[in-house]
Amino acid sequence: MKKIFSQAWKEFMLFRRDKLLILMAVLMPIVLMLLAGITGSLRLSNVALLVYDYDNTPLSRTYLETYGAALTFRMVPRRAEESPERALASWRARAALIIPQNFERDFRRGGEPVVQMLIDATDSNAATALGNYAESLNLSFALQNGITKPPAKGVDLEQRLWYNPGLSDRVYFGTGGLGLMLIIFPALLGALTTAKEYESGTIIQAYASSLTATQWILGKAMLYVVIGLVEFVLCFALGLLVFEFRFPADPSVLLVATVLYLMAGVFFGMMAGNATGNQSAAIQAVQMGSFLLSLLLSGYLFPIRNIPVQIRWLSFFLPATHYIQIVRNSILRDAGWRISYLPIVLLIILTFAFFFVNVLQKRTMQFKG
Amino acid sequence: MPAMIRRYLALLVKEVDQLRRNRVLVIQLLLPPTVVLIIFGFALNPKVRDLRLGVVDESMTVESRNLIDSLSQNVNFKVTRIYMRPEDAEADLKRLDLTLFLVIPADFSRTLGRGQTPDVQVVIDAVDANTAQIAKGYLQMALQAYNAESVMTPDVGPRHMLQLVSATHPPTPPGVPEVQPAYLYNPGLVTAWYYVTGVMSVIMFITASLVASALAVKEKETGTIEQLLMTPAQTGEMLLAKTTPVLVLMMVVLIVSLLVGIVVFGLPVRGSVWLFILSGSLAALAGIGIGVMVATVSKSQQQAQLLTFFVNPPLTLLSGATSPLENMPDLFQKLSYIDPLRYMVTIVRGVTLKTAPWSALWPNLLALAVFSIILFGISAWRFRKT
Repeated sequence: MKKIFSQAWKEFMLFRRDKLLILMAVLMPIVLMLLAGITGSLRLSNVALLVYDYDNTPLSRTYLETYGAALTFRMVPRRAEESPERALASWRARAALIIPQNFERDFRRGGEPVVQMLIDATDSNAATALGNYAESLNLSFALQNGITKPPAKGVDLEQRLWYNPGLSDRVYFGTGGLGLMLIIFPALLGALTTAKEYESGTIIQAYASSLTATQWILGKAMLYVVIGLVEFVLCFALGLLVFEFRFPADPSVLLVATVLYLMAGVFFGMMAGNATGNQSAAIQAVQMGSFLLSLLLSGYLFPIRNIPVQIRWLSFFLPATHYIQIVRNSILRDAGWRISYLPIVLLIILTFAFFFVNVLQKRTMQFKG
Repeated sequence: MPAMIRRYLALLVKEVDQLRRNRVLVIQLLLPPTVVLIIFGFALNPKVRDLRLGVVDESMTVESRNLIDSLSQNVNFKVTRIYMRPEDAEADLKRLDLTLFLVIPADFSRTLGRGQTPDVQVVIDAVDANTAQIAKGYLQMALQAYNAESVMTPDVGPRHMLQLVSATHPPTPPGVPEVQPAYLYNPGLVTAWYYVTGVMSVIMFITASLVASALAVKEKETGTIEQLLMTPAQTGEMLLAKTTPVLVLMMVVLIVSLLVGIVVFGLPVRGSVWLFILSGSLAALAGIGIGVMVATVSKSQQQAQLLTFFVNPPLTLLSGATSPLENMPDLFQKLSYIDPLRYMVTIVRGVTLKTAPWSALWPNLLALAVFSIILFGISAWRFRKT
């Protein structure tokens, strides 16, 4: 045990000397989490809408007011002699609403006037949402102006939105972002420190010392887990301030999971460092293996169930998948051990797996050395 | 003049030789445009379907079962279990086995029979606000369809038939103006096109900055920079010789990405490929500029890589490659104008998906050119100082 601590102390002395590294280890997670959380919003607002009102009657203007009143759309002035297709192709608007001539007249006659909505479907998801939105605005226009009676009610729906009644995406992206930050940086630091030993050849000294492989690994990892905990506290504080985090009723689950998760990250990074023995290759490996895969497949951005089955199994092997679930369970759902035990068990398994790979890597190294 | 070109060529040969021996680089260059792009294209799928729906049926009558049947026919929902008690459904919602559950009250069929409107309650796990909102919308539509189909008295035969045809959309009452949405540029609403076009530029940009910073700092780290400084070559020539092969490689990366997009995702290329390549090379130049700049401020490879790691994610997030810029707060939208990647992403989408007119493209191209000149200029100046 003493050996582990002295190894950790040595690491700390080394780490302390690199001012830039300290600054980045502390600042980067906060800045990135802020950016990732805020830019990740999926809710549409302020969509530029061009209006071509060829009817220009009181009714058509009332119709337009319905769109103007919605927060989703922002009307932009149209240029003379510019076709809607051209305006959409040059990013002047996201959608164009075309009200035909005789809109009011057709309507008074009892016909159903057709209004066209051209939507830029480059972002297909937003386009679908816009199309649906326009349809519901249309219906609300009809209801408001007494054109139609509200549809006969057979069954009434009472909604309860649990855990996030305000439907804020900040909570979602903030909790995901926390998980993402805590896998990137500890893994990166772990990878760098291990690869550096190989690059500068100081790994031989570790072989020559009386340290066993396990002691060496644990000693190295300890410092980075502690740094990770500092990052966790900072990110959590940011979450409380900006991302509407709540204090969990039972913080023990979250704390245990965080320590496990940080260990998994550091061990993964050290694994990459051992395997490559080269700092830039190790960084690349971490960037691919932990950052990119976690970003895509851990349920940070879109639910895991949306991922096609062929690659969905990958997410099972990512510590981030389980950790983000635990974070959301404790911070948002106020769930304790009874609910979170399965992800914790999986996290333990993954952590130990990464640790054993490290030990194996070091065993063979020592034979060679 | 010829002497300058000769020196440049000599340095170029040295750089190419060095690059050729670097195995890691080959992986670094080829893996992202193929594997990552494919994973990105398939994995990022915001379409919500197969929502796991639990039903607490306290009524246990023909009417309540009819309602459940009509929901289980809906493609958007997967009715996983019928519960007897709401507590069980609650526990499953907490365990994440359900996304939402519906409670049909005990007096459901009695109230219906009396000609009144019974309430059903839906509880949605709203942690993922986006999915929750969509789920709510789906359920409302499904219920409207159910109401229109079974509760409204089927007085006229043909009308009923019509409703059956459009079962997912609630029928619009007569007299309401009809909106006809037309989806331009991507009528099949393929989600992958949006991400692939965005991520393609991001990958190229990030790789350019990483490779350039690694190459620039390497000479410094190994001490060979002294030898280079002793040669008659100017620092400008050195920098050019260093960046030329990287620029060529980035073009290869970009073209491979475009091919992956076309072959795997059926991405259309409706505009000019030359414009695509021109803007790509400008963006690569900007990326290289950032990489070299980072290299000049850092002492070791480790610091350089870490700094690029710091610079790249904000650029990616603000470029609009993965989430629409309009959704962001005002300040962040303004910040995105100083992100060279933003212009690149815009041009790539303009060339592939849209046939954007030249009048809309050139401001982006100009901005990109200005950025690459500034970034490259600063990096040359900083490089000279070292």
